[in-house]
Amino acid sequence: MTETTKPASAAVPGFDASVAGKRAECDGGGPIQGTRYAGREEFAGTLTGDFVDHGDPPWRWYLLGDLVKKPESYTDAVVWCESGSVFLVDEPDRVPGKNRL
Amino acid sequence: MPKNPLHTPFCEMFGIEYPIIAFTHCKDVVVAVTNAGGFSVLGEAMHTPDEISADIKWIRDRIGSKPFGVDLVLPASVPPSGGLAELQSKIPDTHKAYAKMVHEKYDVPAPKGKEALHQWGGLNQEMARKQLEVLLEERVPLLCSGLGNPAFILDAAHARGIKVFGLIGKTRQAKREIEAGIDGIIAQGFDAAGHTGEMGTFSIVPEVVAIAEGRPVIAAGGVTTGRHLAAALCLGAAGVWTGTLWLASRESDVDMIVKEKLIAANAEDTDFSKCISGMTMRVLKCPWTNEWKKPEAPAPLAAPYQMLLSSPYIQGANDNRRADLMTEAAGQGVSFIKSMKPARQIMIDVVDEALTTFENLTGGEE
Repeated sequence: MTETTKPASAAVPGFDASVAGKRAECDGGGPIQGTRYAGREEFAGTLTGDFVDHGDPPWRWYLLGDLVKKPESYTDAVVWCESGSVFLVDEPDRVPGKNRL
Repeated sequence: MPKNPLHTPFCEMFGIEYPIIAFTHCKDVVVAVTNAGGFSVLGEAMHTPDEISADIKWIRDRIGSKPFGVDLVLPASVPPSGGLAELQSKIPDTHKAYAKMVHEKYDVPAPKGKEALHQWGGLNQEMARKQLEVLLEERVPLLCSGLGNPAFILDAAHARGIKVFGLIGKTRQAKREIEAGIDGIIAQGFDAAGHTGEMGTFSIVPEVVAIAEGRPVIAAGGVTTGRHLAAALCLGAAGVWTGTLWLASRESDVDMIVKEKLIAANAEDTDFSKCISGMTMRVLKCPWTNEWKKPEAPAPLAAPYQMLLSSPYIQGANDNRRADLMTEAAGQGVSFIKSMKPARQIMIDVVDEALTTFENLTGGEE
């Protein structure tokens, strides 16, 4: 990870070689800051293998780069994606970070 | 004795009378719907842990041991960007100019206080984590994830006797959460207010029912009448998730001006657009959404930049109660919101109409 990709808050970083370089989609989004609403965003790209685990129980987030699909005007080159919202293009039933099915 | 079509597995799960879930940001609506035999889920996405704790205590003082839920919005993706000042510096001049044009054309007043958006929590996971801790500590009967997969918190929630439901917009999201052990799925269709799914409610509900392995599936999106409830149950749903239905209720703390706009609105008066937040939202049409649909308008920016642009308009309109400018998240079922009724009456009307619908379909009892 570089300085520009570091997660905004303290977390335990790691590297998952089993997903590094794999194409993935992220059904993303989150709270709309300053409002009580939520919004959806979709991304597709390549997982770098970098992840962070937030807190206990660990909430795992993967770094998605080489974005081929992203919201129009999205200016960042990468996005952090929660593992449960990541879908591997070639292994759609596999949850990154869990045992292989 | 004929089977009561409104007594569903969701009612069994929580020991309630009617499979109608009121999703609301208003505690008074929570209490009214709960005490009328329904189930309420309080949206707490914007509240601090202390506020959430206080809200839960307030509700429990008024509903006793009856079950209720709390909804949080868990982030599913987070950009690696920095603080507020850095984000504001990245907004293109073209977009700032267009926003300024809208303000001048409609004489949009300035917000009266500090913009809520400027109480910046940052785009990270820490706030969600702290909010979840409160729900675990308070052992709320139902934790709903309004967006984002709550799989990581399931064991901790179940250990405390808390059920967890996830709101989804795609069948694959439901499959993922079901495989993780979630207790129920809220299948949200395109008709919904706010962050809708991409599929119609009539399409997503039966798809999710087919893979739910007997778990309750709650139909969301466009539900505002008893006929909608009956239709959802016919699709295999175990209940309905209703939001717009309660916005104009007597108990709702929504501004009276907005209530009147909701009552006057039809489905075509809602816009599905990225122009408010950068993420798709269904809201009542207003000058901001109308201007950003024009061919000459620049493409809305991604979140959070577009929200930084729209925030002064939204808050200025609300703080100054400008009826011509105000908007609210509303689903396409708004067509059937035609008066301000007490929540109990809304519940009675929906239940009566659902039962009448079933009687008409089956020929009723001799």
